Amino acid sequence: MAVFNIKKREIECKIVYYGPGRCGKTTNLEYVFKSYKKQVDGEMVSINTEGDRTLFFDFLPMELGKIKGCDVRVQLFTVPGQVQYTSTRKLVLRGVDGVVFVADSLTDRRDKNMLSLKDLQQNLKEYGLNIFKIPLVLQYNKRDLAEEGMPVMPLEKMERDLNRQLKVPSYPASAMTGDGVGKTLQECLKLTLQSLQKQFNWAQ
Amino acid sequence: MNKKIKSLLQQAEVYKKQGLLNEAKSKYDFVKELIQNSDTFQNKQKLIESLDKKIAGLTSKIESVESAPVKPEMSQHVNELIKKLFSFSSKEKSEEDAALEGAIALAKFGQFEGALKEFEKLIQINSQRVSAAKNILRCHLEMGAVDNANEQLLKWQDAEDLFSSDQIEKITVFYNDILDKKGLKKETARKEEPASVQEDEETDEEFLDISAVAIVLDDGPNKGEQVELDVSFQSGNVISLIVSSKDEHLIENLKVGVRLDDVHFYSPVAIFRGSGVVSAKTQIKSGPKKGDYSLDIKIESL
Repeated sequence: MAVFNIKKREIECKIVYYGPGRCGKTTNLEYVFKSYKKQVDGEMVSINTEGDRTLFFDFLPMELGKIKGCDVRVQLFTVPGQVQYTSTRKLVLRGVDGVVFVADSLTDRRDKNMLSLKDLQQNLKEYGLNIFKIPLVLQYNKRDLAEEGMPVMPLEKMERDLNRQLKVPSYPASAMTGDGVGKTLQECLKLTLQSLQKQFNWAQ
Repeated sequence: MNKKIKSLLQQAEVYKKQGLLNEAKSKYDFVKELIQNSDTFQNKQKLIESLDKKIAGLTSKIESVESAPVKPEMSQHVNELIKKLFSFSSKEKSEEDAALEGAIALAKFGQFEGALKEFEKLIQINSQRVSAAKNILRCHLEMGAVDNANEQLLKWQDAEDLFSSDQIEKITVFYNDILDKKGLKKETARKEEPASVQEDEETDEEFLDISAVAIVLDDGPNKGEQVELDVSFQSGNVISLIVSSKDEHLIENLKVGVRLDDVHFYSPVAIFRGSGVVSAKTQIKSGPKKGDYSLDIKIESL
């Protein structure tokens, strides 16, 4: 839940990267940390297992500067994607203002994408949030693996699977190379700030 | 065959690098099956042994990932971060309220040792005393240390200077309530299950937007193969699919009245397994799909 300090004209909001295990949520944040140094306001923190799987969350604070007269700070989080971390995902999602759903383009991960999206919907519902109303962007990650001869789903298929009802902005991406990472985050920030503007009417 | 195997092995390696261990293992399993069923490999036994090693390695890794503790105790630095990031008290609330929230966040992340330390500090603050005490007892119970919780409560009951008699009564009632619930929990969970199952059944009656289906062929040259078809139209529990005229075996197998027992229904937010029956089959007489077949499937269960 965004914090708006009227006196200081500061707004702080939370964006969570969601998706099935090993889809590239942490890699997204690592790329943002590496590439947007000006906007990053501290270190990236990763709480993960020995196998580099996210255990609790990744965290990256960003400072976007003045937008419409307000200092905007954003906290980026990722959730652990493995099935057994369901309660942790719910904890990290608390207070979310915007979501980036990272889908894995590998054909063999199709079912996991859909189950994870359903998981997101249920967790949002438990916080009184509606997946159809929250600022949400889809990212179809790992597009680069097609060049390695890996079976990758066509974008149309992923759109049908994941976005037919939601109809939210979606971006193909490769978090490893950085393609699409910036665009995804930018769009999610835009939607989130628009939503917060409606909520707080903070723009001068 | 060699090309196929090479491609599958390459895929397995990529999956392994991606950390998709189950997917990697299934590729190696498939390659092993192909080699076992083929007579063209000279060093068949050696190849299978090498695959067995890879499969065993992956199996062991998968087991260790799946059996790892979900919320292990972390360092002080991590605990400080959790407290800071997951206290949601607004700036207008007191520091003590924020501290309580931070301690509760630690407990929710399974950091019970860290949480206990914070609650012990908060028990010295009048405004937080009762909440801190309740959470201390809860932490002990979550750690499976019922004796510790009992002992702690007795200490508080004996120490007359820390809690007022009202406060100690509140804490005792709260604690007994939790113990009762823990004792009754299994029975009430069984009673609750039918309600939640009923909820699922109610939502099953609302047919979600289905975008595609996967049907397992149980006859013909491609028996056992899973075929995916896109849904062209849906009306309630009846979905229409277009089958290409080239898929002769599929058209032949899917006659009106044929029951499909194992169907995957893909919707944007979930995959359902269910059954259906072919309710209509019509050849398209005109347009870009002329010659193809329109197939209606009535969903019987999800």
